[in-house]
Amino acid sequence: MDTTLLILVAAIPLAWAAYRWHQRQTHVRSRRDLEDALKHLFEQEYRGRRASLSSLAGVLRLGGHAVVTLAGRMQAQGLVVAHGQEFTLTPEGETLALQIVRAHRLLERYFADEARLPLGQVHAEAERREHGLTPEDVDRLSAALGHPVVDPHGDPIPTRDGVLAPPSGTPATAWPAHTLGRIVHLEDEPEISFAQIVAEGLRLGQRVRIVASTPERLVLSDGEHEFRLAPAVAANVFLAPDTGLEAEAGLRRLSDLPTGERAEVVGLDESCQGFSRRRLMDLGFTAGARTRPFLETFASDPRAYEVRGTLIALRRDLAAQVLVRPMAADTPPAAKGAASR
Amino acid sequence: MTAHNCDTCVVHAELERMGLSLDRFDRVVALAGNPNTGKSTLFNALTGLRQHTGNWPGKTVTRAEGGFEFNTVRYKLVDLPGTYSLLSASHDEEIARDFLLFGRPDATIVVADATALERNLNLVLQVLEITDRVVVAVNLLDEARRKGIDVDLRSLSRDLGVPAVGLVARTGEGLHGLLEAIDGVTSGAVATTPLRVTGTPEFQHAVSELVPLIEEAVPGVPNARWIAIRLLDGDAQVEEALRSGRLADVVESQTQGPGRFSRKIALAGAQ
Amino acid sequence: MSVATPAADAAIARAASLRDTLAVSFRDEAVRSIYAEATRIADRAAHQAGDRRYDFDQRIDRIVTSPVFGLPLMAALLAVVFWITIVGSNTPGVWLASGLFWIEDQGAALFTALGLPWWATGFVWHGVYKGLAWVISVMLPPMAIFFPLFTMLEDLGYLPRVAFNLDFLFRRAGAHGKQALTMAMGFGCNAAGVIATRVIDSPRERLIAILTNNFVPCNGRYPTLIMLATIFVAAQFPPALASAAAAGAVMAVVALGVVFTLAVSWALSRTVLRGEASAFTLELPPYRRPGVLRILYTSLIDRTLFVLWRACLTAAPAGAVIWILGNISAGGATLDQHIAGFLQPFGHLLGLDGVILLAYIIAIPANEIVVPTMLMVYMGTGQMTDVTSFEDLRRLLVDGHGWTMLTAVNLMLFALLHNPCGTTILTIYKETLSAKWAAVSALLPLALGFLVTFFVAAIWRLFL
Repeated sequence: MDTTLLILVAAIPLAWAAYRWHQRQTHVRSRRDLEDALKHLFEQEYRGRRASLSSLAGVLRLGGHAVVTLAGRMQAQGLVVAHGQEFTLTPEGETLALQIVRAHRLLERYFADEARLPLGQVHAEAERREHGLTPEDVDRLSAALGHPVVDPHGDPIPTRDGVLAPPSGTPATAWPAHTLGRIVHLEDEPEISFAQIVAEGLRLGQRVRIVASTPERLVLSDGEHEFRLAPAVAANVFLAPDTGLEAEAGLRRLSDLPTGERAEVVGLDESCQGFSRRRLMDLGFTAGARTRPFLETFASDPRAYEVRGTLIALRRDLAAQVLVRPMAADTPPAAKGAASR
Repeated sequence: MTAHNCDTCVVHAELERMGLSLDRFDRVVALAGNPNTGKSTLFNALTGLRQHTGNWPGKTVTRAEGGFEFNTVRYKLVDLPGTYSLLSASHDEEIARDFLLFGRPDATIVVADATALERNLNLVLQVLEITDRVVVAVNLLDEARRKGIDVDLRSLSRDLGVPAVGLVARTGEGLHGLLEAIDGVTSGAVATTPLRVTGTPEFQHAVSELVPLIEEAVPGVPNARWIAIRLLDGDAQVEEALRSGRLADVVESQTQGPGRFSRKIALAGAQ
Repeated sequence: MSVATPAADAAIARAASLRDTLAVSFRDEAVRSIYAEATRIADRAAHQAGDRRYDFDQRIDRIVTSPVFGLPLMAALLAVVFWITIVGSNTPGVWLASGLFWIEDQGAALFTALGLPWWATGFVWHGVYKGLAWVISVMLPPMAIFFPLFTMLEDLGYLPRVAFNLDFLFRRAGAHGKQALTMAMGFGCNAAGVIATRVIDSPRERLIAILTNNFVPCNGRYPTLIMLATIFVAAQFPPALASAAAAGAVMAVVALGVVFTLAVSWALSRTVLRGEASAFTLELPPYRRPGVLRILYTSLIDRTLFVLWRACLTAAPAGAVIWILGNISAGGATLDQHIAGFLQPFGHLLGLDGVILLAYIIAIPANEIVVPTMLMVYMGTGQMTDVTSFEDLRRLLVDGHGWTMLTAVNLMLFALLHNPCGTTILTIYKETLSAKWAAVSALLPLALGFLVTFFVAAIWRLFL
C-alpha cells in the first residue's frame, strides 16, 4: 500500500514534466513547420513560381490534413493569401520569411566556412539550426562572418532590412552552347539533385561551357574534365557571363605551379571566403605579392611557399584558392630592393 | 600608482579591469610583433625574466607581463601574442587587439624582423591605425647583415612617422636606444605623426562619412578613424564594444577627474 | 556601464549601408592597400647589399623536409635522442638511488636511536621519504638529459618542420596540421600540449587535438618505458646492442602512440566531431642558433625542476598512503595486499597484475610515480629491501613477482594508453570548459588501453 502511494506521488511530477515537455515539443514543431512553409512559399515566389497545398505537403513531409490546418493558421495570422489551391505571401509573411531565409543562408555560410562541413551537408545542418534564432542572434552571426552577401550555393543573403538581390544566372539548360560561363549558383533543393551536382565535382565559381546537349544528357566541360548531368539536374546549375578574376588569361592556381617557379599573386578565388580568405590575405597572399613553391613533402601536399620573405606551408586545397600569374624565368629574383635604391 | 601622468593613470583602470596589476609601475608598454621575430627574447632582455622562447609559431598564447626601470621610471611590459595581423579575429589576435584598443598602453613596441621587413610592416601599419604612441624595434639585425640586407632606419622612421630603432635582442645590441625611444614616446617628448594608409577614394569617402557619426556616439574617442574602418569591415567585436558602451566608458573615464575613476571602474571590472 | 546610445546604433547602421555600396569586399581592399604601403616603405628602407650569399637555411630545409629523407631523418633523430637518454641516465640513476637509499637507512637509524616509535620512523623514512627518493632517482636522470635535447630541437626551429612533414597524415585523419606541433609538445608534458592546442583556430580540430594529446607518452611516462625497455627488451640482446634495442623499443611505443593519435583523430573526425579540415597555414621560421646557456637554464630550471617538483608533491603523500596501506593489517593481510588481490583477476585478464593496477590508481595525480608506487608495494611485502641497479630490479620483478615478457609488453602498452594524469585532465577541463569532454579525454584512452592489453594478452596466451 505504502509503495503504491509512493509510486503515485513520484509519478505525478514526472507525468507533469512529461506533459510539459510534450507541449513544448509540439509548439516547437508547429513553429518549425510554419517557418518552413513560409520559406518554401518565399523561395517559390523568388523563382517566379507559386506554391500550392501539394507542393507544401511535399516539402514539409506532412499529410493532407496537417497541411490544410497549417495553411489555415497562416491565413488566420495574416501571413498568406489563398488563391484557390495556390498561396502568396502577404507583406508580413514576406518579412518573416526573409528573416528565416537570412538565418538559413548565414548558417550555411557558417557551416561551410567556419565549421568546414562538406558542402553536401551544409543545407541539412542549417535547416536544423535555423529555427528559434532571434533577429539579434542572426545579426551577430552575420557580423561574426564578416557580413557575407551570398551563401555557399551562390544565393544572395537578405540584408537585415529585408532587401534581397534578384536571382542571378541562367539555368545551364538555357545557356547557349559552347559559350564560356561561370557557375554562380547551385540550387540546393531538392537534395538528391544537389548531391549529384556535388558528386560530379561542380563547384561555385567554376568556368564551364556546354559541349553537348541531348534530351537525356547535358555535358559541361571546364577544359579538363567533363561533367554529365540529366537536364532536370542541370536546370539547377546557374551560369552567368564570366567576369571574375579567373577569366583572365594566363592565370594559374598556386597549387598547380611547379615547385621552384616564381609567380605574382593576382588575387584569391571568389569561392574562398570566411576564415580561409582572411588568413591567406593576412599572410601576404594579396595582389602584387611575389611567391614561389619552395619545399615539397611526401605526396607533394602540403608545400611550403616563399611569400614576403617567409616560408608558409599550405595544403593543396588552400593553395588552389590563390590565383597567380607565372613570372618570366629570366626575372632576377632579388632585384626588387636594389632597383629602388 | 604614482600620479605621474593622470590621463594615463585613468586608462590604467581599464588595464586593471583586464587583470593587470599596476601597483608598482608608472607606465605600461605593450610588446607586439609577428611570430618568430624575437619578441619573447626582447621581452626577456628587457625584463630579465626567463620566459621560454621556443622557435615555433604561436607559442605565446597568452599575455606575459614583466617590469623594468629606466631613468627612474618604472615600466610594466606586456607581451602580446605574436600575430601577422589584427584583422582576422582569431583568438590570439583578439587578445592583442583588445589590449591595444581598450588597454591603451602608454606606448607599444612593435618588433619587426629586419630580414622580412615587408611582411612585418603590415602589422606595424595596422598598429599605427589604432595608436599613435608606437616604437618600431627592427630586430635580428645580425641575421640581416649575414644575409647582406641593409636597413635604413632613418628612412623607415621618416616614412612611418614614429621612432624606428635597430636591435639585436639576443646580444642586447641597441637596447639602450630602444629604452630612450620608449622614454621619449611615453613622456611625450618625442612627437609622433603615424602614417595612415588611405586606400582608394571610395574607401576614403566611406571612412570620412563615418568618423563624425562615431565621434558623436563616443565623444572624445581618440581613434574614430580606426573604429570606422572596423565597422565598415563588419567587425562584430568593435560593434559590440560600441553598442554596449564599453568604448564610451574607457573614453569617458579618461576625461573625468583623477579621483573618481578607479573605484567605479575597478568595481565594474570586479563583477 | 553606460547604456547603448542611439548614436552608436546610427553609426553601426550607416556603416552597414556604406559597406553595401562598396564595390569590392572592404576587407580585401583594406588588406591590399596596407600591404602595398608596406611594400613601398620596405623597398625604400631595406637594401640588398651586394650579392645575396647562398642561403644555408634553404639547403638544410631541402634535406630536412625532403619527401625521401624527411621522415626517416625525423625518426632517426628521435631515436638518437632516446638512445642518448637511455645510455646517459643509466649510471647516474644507480648512483642517485644508492645515495638516496643510504640516507633513508641513516635517517631511520637516527630516529630509532632517538627512541621514536617504529611507526614514526616507518611513516617518515620508509613512507614519505622513500616515495620521494624513488621519484628522484627514477625521473631526474632521464629528464635532465631528455629536456635539454628536446628544448634544443625546439629552439632550433625543427618542430614546425616536423609538423610540415607529418601533415599529410594528419590531413588524411581530418585533423589540423598544427596538431603535429601540439603532439610534439605533448612529448614533454601532455598538459603543456593541451595548452599549446590554442594555436589551432578551428574549435573542432582543436578538440580533436586536445582529446588525442594523451596518446603520446609524456616525460612522466618515459621512466616506465625506459625501465621496461632496459630490463626486458635490452636483456634479450647482446650487451653491445642492448641500449640500441632499448631505444628501439621506446621508439616503437612512441610510433604506436602516433598511430593511435592518427587513428583516434580519424575516428573522431568522422563521427562525433564530423567536418572537413580547416585552412592550414604554418610558418616555417628561419633556423636560429640555440643559446646553450639558455637551453640549459630553460630545460633544467623551467622544465626538469618544475616537473620534478610536481612529482615530489604527489610522491610524498603517495609514499605515505602506500606505507599506511602496507602496514595496516586486516584478516591476516595488509590493506594493499587486499586491494591488489581484489584487482588481481582483472589485472591478469589484461596481462598485468593487481599491483600494477593499484599503482595506476594511486598515480592518477601524476604518472611519474607509477614505477615507484609499484616497487614500494612489491617491496613492502618484504622480499627485497635494497634495489639500486636494473639487475636488482629484474630479479625483484621476474623472480619475486612472476613478471614475464607479456607483463612488460602490456605494461608498456598500458603506460601509453591510459587516462591522462590529474593535471592534464584539469587542464583539459579548463581549456574546454566542459566536464563532458574532460571525462571523454580520461575514459577514451583508458578504454582503449583495456581493449588493447586484453587482446594482446589473449593472443599471447593462445599462441606463445
